[in-house]
Amino acid sequence: MAATVHTVEVMGTVVSFHVHASALTESDLAAALAEATASLRHDDATFSTWKPESPMSRLRRGELRLEDAPAEVAEVLDLCVAAGTLSQGWFDAYAMPGGVDPTGLVKGWSLERALAVLVNAGVSSAMVNGGGDIACHGEPPQGGPWRVGIRHPWRADALAAVLEVERAVATSGEYERGRHLFDPIGRPGPPPASATVTGPSLTLADALATAVAVGGDAVLDIVASIDGYDAYLIGADGSESATSGIRFSDANGPA
Amino acid sequence: MKRAAITIVAAVGGLAGVLGFNVGGSRAPLLHSAAPASNPPATPPPGSTSTPASNPGTTPASGSGSPPTGVRSALGNTYQYGYGKLAVRVTLNGSTITHVATVGLQTAESYSQQIAQQVIPLLRHEVLSAQSARVNGFSGATYTSEAYIYSLQSALDKLHKK
Repeated sequence: MAATVHTVEVMGTVVSFHVHASALTESDLAAALAEATASLRHDDATFSTWKPESPMSRLRRGELRLEDAPAEVAEVLDLCVAAGTLSQGWFDAYAMPGGVDPTGLVKGWSLERALAVLVNAGVSSAMVNGGGDIACHGEPPQGGPWRVGIRHPWRADALAAVLEVERAVATSGEYERGRHLFDPIGRPGPPPASATVTGPSLTLADALATAVAVGGDAVLDIVASIDGYDAYLIGADGSESATSGIRFSDANGPA
Repeated sequence: MKRAAITIVAAVGGLAGVLGFNVGGSRAPLLHSAAPASNPPATPPPGSTSTPASNPGTTPASGSGSPPTGVRSALGNTYQYGYGKLAVRVTLNGSTITHVATVGLQTAESYSQQIAQQVIPLLRHEVLSAQSARVNGFSGATYTSEAYIYSLQSALDKLHKK
């Protein structure tokens, strides 16, 4: 079947669902996509630090206690603590200016939840892409691994690489949104240009990509030590480094 | 106002030589790549805005209606991408994408103007090369790229190509 593409403006960006295979009727698939969309909007309303009335914003201002916030808030903050431990402090939602800020992790978490809505409804092959944070389920139409192009940080006409991905990939870098990343450790020198992390969970991949974008080469070994996760880093000087498990692909794909 | 539109077209035109460029081999070498300063070719005045996407909608150049034959083009919807707006015009010959152009571009500040210039031509190339590069998705830049894809998708929808 031809892919069904559904796009949603949410979380300050555009999220696209690509459904390649499902056992659902057209109307059931539409209902599942509507439910996945509602899930994204719900999470945005809960966690946005741009919306003054979100529970997250109220928590940051001290107007809401954690125990009075929706249960997902504590869940996500626990995940932030876990990601902070795994990244040995390079991802630190609690070191952000303005109070605790799960932004570096919560988009991946929310995208993963939305994809799970589709999978639970009976979708067997799908990808969700939220501004370059990608989670996949099942097999892509061409079979084998999913193939994800990583944008070249400066060359407008090129990809830096094509990666083979099983489940999730996240890229963080200064060229995305300007200097939106905050370095909790205060490392000197320019940040890397592009930091990509692959792994089984987009939630952790998102947080680790933020960590690698902040810490550079120092964080590669940390990522490599986490089971199932790999990183590909383009430095501010154009140098490249990657952990051994990263799977680069021929850009022209399988024959 | 108009001036920005013209420089953007010039930037896109300047990439024409690049369109035959093959992403091929597994990766574009980074160490030989230009430093950020050598990019992009055109520099509109900071803070400029541009181009209302005057909107003819779908323009079948031939064979409107039934099977997808002949050259057809459509303008996608204009989308916000956080700091600005853009729209994409796509041209098909049969079912093959032969041309993609950004026809509406408006940014709120000079920074995002830079980003737009870097990302939009890249995506144009990707759309055209996607048929050979065969990737399922792209990771990297955020606002501009998604708005571009969004507008492109709406243009393709108008041409009934999914």
